Amino acid sequence: MKLTFPRIGDSHIYGRLLFQEIGIDIVIPAPNSTEGLERGSAKAPEDICLPFKIMIDNLLSAWEQGADTVVMPATMGPCRLGEYGELLAVVLRKQGCDYRWILLDALSAVGSKELLHRLGQVVEGSPCRKRQILSALSETYSIIKNFEKLEAEVRMLSPYDCRRGASKSILRNCRRGLEKASDISNALEIIRESRRELEELDRDKERDPLRFLVTGEIYTQIDAFGNHHVEDILMDLGVSFEKSISIGWWIRNTILNPFGGMLSEAKKNPLMPHRIGGYAKETVNEALRWKKEGFDGIIQMFPVGCMPEIVAKSVFDGLAKDEGLPVLTIVFDEMGGEAGYLTRIEAFVDMLYRKREMNDVLSGNRCGVCKH
Amino acid sequence: MRIGIPEALLFQRYEPIIRTFFNNLEVDVVYSGPSNQDILERGIKNCVDEACLPMKLFQGHVSKLEEECDKVVVPRLMKCEFGDSICPKFSGLPELVGKGNSQGRFIFSDPLYLNDRAKLEKTVVKQGKQLEVPKENLIRAFRAAEAAMNIRKAVYRAEADFAGAAGMGESEETKKPGERKGSRVALLGHPYNISDSFANRNLINKLKRLGIEVVTGEDPLEKDFSMQLTGLMKAPYWMFYRENFGKAGALLESGSIDGILYVSSFCCGTDSVIIEMIKSRIDDFPMLVLKIDEHTAEAGIDTRLEAFSELLERRRYHEAHLS
Repeated sequence: MKLTFPRIGDSHIYGRLLFQEIGIDIVIPAPNSTEGLERGSAKAPEDICLPFKIMIDNLLSAWEQGADTVVMPATMGPCRLGEYGELLAVVLRKQGCDYRWILLDALSAVGSKELLHRLGQVVEGSPCRKRQILSALSETYSIIKNFEKLEAEVRMLSPYDCRRGASKSILRNCRRGLEKASDISNALEIIRESRRELEELDRDKERDPLRFLVTGEIYTQIDAFGNHHVEDILMDLGVSFEKSISIGWWIRNTILNPFGGMLSEAKKNPLMPHRIGGYAKETVNEALRWKKEGFDGIIQMFPVGCMPEIVAKSVFDGLAKDEGLPVLTIVFDEMGGEAGYLTRIEAFVDMLYRKREMNDVLSGNRCGVCKH
Repeated sequence: MRIGIPEALLFQRYEPIIRTFFNNLEVDVVYSGPSNQDILERGIKNCVDEACLPMKLFQGHVSKLEEECDKVVVPRLMKCEFGDSICPKFSGLPELVGKGNSQGRFIFSDPLYLNDRAKLEKTVVKQGKQLEVPKENLIRAFRAAEAAMNIRKAVYRAEADFAGAAGMGESEETKKPGERKGSRVALLGHPYNISDSFANRNLINKLKRLGIEVVTGEDPLEKDFSMQLTGLMKAPYWMFYRENFGKAGALLESGSIDGILYVSSFCCGTDSVIIEMIKSRIDDFPMLVLKIDEHTAEAGIDTRLEAFSELLERRRYHEAHLS
């Protein structure tokens, strides 16, 4: 049995280390690319969301490399993610890829017994004992946690770098190192090393960059190809930003805390009082931090046609009209050109800088003519 | 107090239930009437760009009613009567159509679970308080509506004797494709796309003019579904997935249709899955997917329908003469 899974963000790094530790053979799909997306879109139904098209290509490429079993998380709707498994199976069978499917479905859909059985199927090829598997899982989680902490620091600190792009290149090197890491302890060492480097960088504390909050649909949040490397663009533009939705966030909310959904439902939110599937409520929850924590702008991202995020966008439109929420919504599709996204983000950043200047002038902190 | 009810989305499907409820309430009710160009334009103006056509039409109905009513019914439908969900936009309907402060004028926008009687009654009574009607009236209206709902359920769960009443056992059914006068086409899709003749540009009349007989299978039976759904990895959770996939399979198996016409709104999230799943089951059986959007020009639709009708005719001719 050769396992594979769709590639989302850095999942391939974590997956490789985890399965290597417990002795299971896995296949990592080729990196997401424009050519891959083209191949995926050609085989997928036309109106389906972007992540599906990328996943088709992932699984085709894994099949070519000899994989025969897919592990796929699923939900119980009403968002489309819950139907991905079925549809992927149909489309791939047409292409001659007769995979065996292990759907890690929501507890409410299959019950705990069936879920445990399916989890058992994932690790059935492992020579390790249960205890070893559990400890490998917890170590992998600590890699995720530490690496995401590093990412978050780079996002916040990169505009303060004396040498532009220094933090960004540390992050890039760290990711490259992780892709080649020999085992889990080596990976943790690489992350520690990168953090040390990051701490030693020279920073200009006088600068006052814009602070953004990036939120939106989970796939485009996690996968750099899915969001056209928005993070790199923002770092290059010298914006400090936060992005809380990540693989680690998802694990904390769904696996480590099975009541995450209920907690989120209970959270008071006058603008989006109920969970409607996907992560629309979480998107709006995030955006509400804007006022309390003084962010300069919000960037919402989602793939074209994403049903829950369209509702969230409608809420944002209302907020923008009534309370002046500075929000830029970017909808991603199969187009490969990045100039359009870049122009819009640049314009948004310029606009917010100007707004800040205007506020300074109006409040008397600075003279409008000579900038003193 | 005047209450506005938008005649869009699932209104037509639940019409008897909705009318029974509000008639029993004895309040001043305004229905928004069928969709028209004015409503569509209001919807396009007020709704978020990315939304689909039915949502924009719903927004148009709501905007129109807001002008003349104190409260507008914007239901938040979480689960239908059999525990299925519809699409995230239905669960977030009040957020989708309510910009800023207008949400305070919506009513029945607490979560409605049609499959959970106790919960539903509690929500309806709680929301109904805003209507300034006595609680007895509310409860009476709820009971009456419930009776109407139970009839629906009974038809759905019924065995073979109800098949005639359900509209699937018409006289021509038994005839072989070649012996029929005209082609018979199964019209599938979300019910609000099929029943709104403004949204689908009078599709049913157009088909009639082309001499195509339409089977909608309006009230499908549970037994048809459960049979068709076997062999799937996971039971689908969308109501329209189960309905359309089940109907397509059942009609195809009965051999009473010559083709499938699927009406879908542009960028519909659920249809992207449903259509592909139907296609995976029908091999080379003729199927036309008709996308409808805000454009009002009809030539494109006409051409496609004519081509489809010619294709069906030719197939019927070949089947009658060659086999």
